[in-house]
Amino acid sequence: MKIIKKAQAGTMQSSDLMVFVEPSEGLTVEIDSTVKKQFEHLIRATIDAVLAAHGVTEGMIRVTDRGALDYAIEARLEAALKRAGEE
Amino acid sequence: MVTELACVPDIGEARAFIEQNGLTFEEGYDDLVGVHEGDELVAVGARAGNILKMLVVEPSRQNGALFGEVVTDLVGRGFAAGFTSLFVFTKPGYATTFEALNFSLLASHERVALLEFGGGLERWLSSYLSLLRKGVNGAVVMNCNPFTLGHRHLVETASRQVDNLYIFVVREERSVFPFAVRFRLVEEGVRDIPNVLLLDTSSYAISSVTFPTYFLKGADSIARIQMELDIALFASRIAPFFGISSRFFGTEPFCTTTCNYNEAMKRLLPVYGIDAVEVKRRETTDGVISASRVRELLKCDDLAPLEMLVPATTLAYLRSTAVAPVLEKLRENMGRH
Repeated sequence: MKIIKKAQAGTMQSSDLMVFVEPSEGLTVEIDSTVKKQFEHLIRATIDAVLAAHGVTEGMIRVTDRGALDYAIEARLEAALKRAGEE
Repeated sequence: MVTELACVPDIGEARAFIEQNGLTFEEGYDDLVGVHEGDELVAVGARAGNILKMLVVEPSRQNGALFGEVVTDLVGRGFAAGFTSLFVFTKPGYATTFEALNFSLLASHERVALLEFGGGLERWLSSYLSLLRKGVNGAVVMNCNPFTLGHRHLVETASRQVDNLYIFVVREERSVFPFAVRFRLVEEGVRDIPNVLLLDTSSYAISSVTFPTYFLKGADSIARIQMELDIALFASRIAPFFGISSRFFGTEPFCTTTCNYNEAMKRLLPVYGIDAVEVKRRETTDGVISASRVRELLKCDDLAPLEMLVPATTLAYLRSTAVAPVLEKLRENMGRH
């Protein structure tokens, strides 16, 4: 799918994350997290997997995480992508 | 649930709530939101452009999720309005509360901390990786409204004292000459100087216009704090990235604000290991050269003396038809800039 407009999902609450996506040339994933030191690689792996599953190859993806678990990361990113892909 | 507070009674209630909690209600916001529990307002927050302000949670409920809810809502509204980075000025004691929400501290002062959500500073700095140079580097930060022979003199003098000179042109639009014009006139005006590198300040020059004061009380000198925070941000985050070891600025005979700013730089920059170098202004036979004098002459349609004040590149622009909208703004504008 293609990101055609700006969209966001999620909250700043503990154990949640906010995802911001917008159209951009190339694919960039920026991760900020309160547990970045320990878990950035795992958060990134989860995000990359969701992007690949949706065939996203272009866009700016920014994530600010407060210790969300994998399923929350998947759900929030998927929600943001679906909002960003709607006409 | 966070709702927008847009009608008069809601706004009145928010004002009373903010004032009860020791802050000042400031008009001039884009969004004002709050959370009600029953009929009671228990949290509020506002956004003005890319700045979050007037964030208050009722004291007995501060351990819960309300603060995050309000900030989430405002960040979302800011994002929808086109701001990928949002700033908050707060008391230093609250900095960690924002850091827990993934805000990062940009600069801290004894009375004020500035934090950012969205990683904009890092992104802005890394967009300039290609401009990094080894050696002894200096900087000037200028508004150039418009670029004069005075600016040119400062740049020439400074560029002779360093290997590389970074010229930061203030991006913020609070001047009669728009940023794009100011930037281009600097670019054209310094083209023949080989060791200068031109860039803009993005959102990272704190001006008195963007600096909110609602949380500062009493005898604080607001202007002083704003300047000191701006200098701290430059000295602690921007200068180290570019390897800048001295900052140059012109003597200021007219404007008290700029003069105070210069004094603050002389006092604070050395604390961060940066030399503050004041360069004496260039003078013509009838006084020093300044952009405000150029604007005065333009306002009075007195173009002849401009030759003495601006380089040929700026003069060509001032004589062109492109300058018309600026002149119109200049005649309406009674402000300082």
